Amino acid sequence: MPIWMEVLVLMLLAYAVGLGLGWAIWGRES
Amino acid sequence: MEFLRKPYTAIVAGLIACIVLAYTVGGASAPQVAQRIAAPVPAAIAEAGGGDTVRARFSLPNGWPSRHPVLTGAEGLSESTRARIAHAVAALPGVGGISWADGDLMVEQHFSPLHCQDDVAALLRARTIRFEESSARIDAASGSLIDEVAAALRPCLGAVIRISGHTDRSGSEEANLALSRERAEAVRGALVRRGIPNAVLRVEGMGSAHPVEGLEPGDPANRRIEFTVVSTAPLVPTPVDTPGPR
Repeated sequence: MPIWMEVLVLMLLAYAVGLGLGWAIWGRES
Repeated sequence: MEFLRKPYTAIVAGLIACIVLAYTVGGASAPQVAQRIAAPVPAAIAEAGGGDTVRARFSLPNGWPSRHPVLTGAEGLSESTRARIAHAVAALPGVGGISWADGDLMVEQHFSPLHCQDDVAALLRARTIRFEESSARIDAASGSLIDEVAAALRPCLGAVIRISGHTDRSGSEEANLALSRERAEAVRGALVRRGIPNAVLRVEGMGSAHPVEGLEPGDPANRRIEFTVVSTAPLVPTPVDTPGPR
């Protein structure tokens, strides 16, 4: 796997965690 | 930016941004990262007994830098040396899983040859795998012979099998070496398509350096593919096979 794909995997993981947290904190109330 | 107010559009836009960022920023810094990872590798290989013939390539065939090196140049080394080199390289910080350009299986050195080498030799004594003139494309008529070779190799699947390509002495030795290796690789590809795992097959091109015993080096009969059983993997009994203490 090339390095940029490893970076992509990490970024997608962080993005998914961020989305999940954002939804848990703000998304459920509205 | 009204469209970003729709949640799904925004999420997809974020995904695309991730991909673009990873490809541009990650891709731009990747060469330096790979270089830094690769810097201590030659010293580690030399210390493990690989000399300066074994090299690690930290890039994919298309040129993308990678943390997973492909090691080349270990054709003449013993399995234990290869294993030592592999461990030394893999232990360096930042290095991902390694692989060998000519096959991966780590096996024991000492073994008694299996009968399948004789079976294959007997098959190839009477007939030969033919190639199209100065090309590595296997002649269509040799397909059934390769079927039989694959069937004969199947009992030896625990072993490492070396496929060596040979040419006669016509043309330059450099071209002969390349052609013999390409032909051996073509045979490996054909065997893999018939269900022999890639990992047990090693290929090498010998050029015209090893003519058939008793033949002139220029004799066209020297064009051939040879199979050798290099070594066998140790048999590890599964728990089912091992009688318990009770």
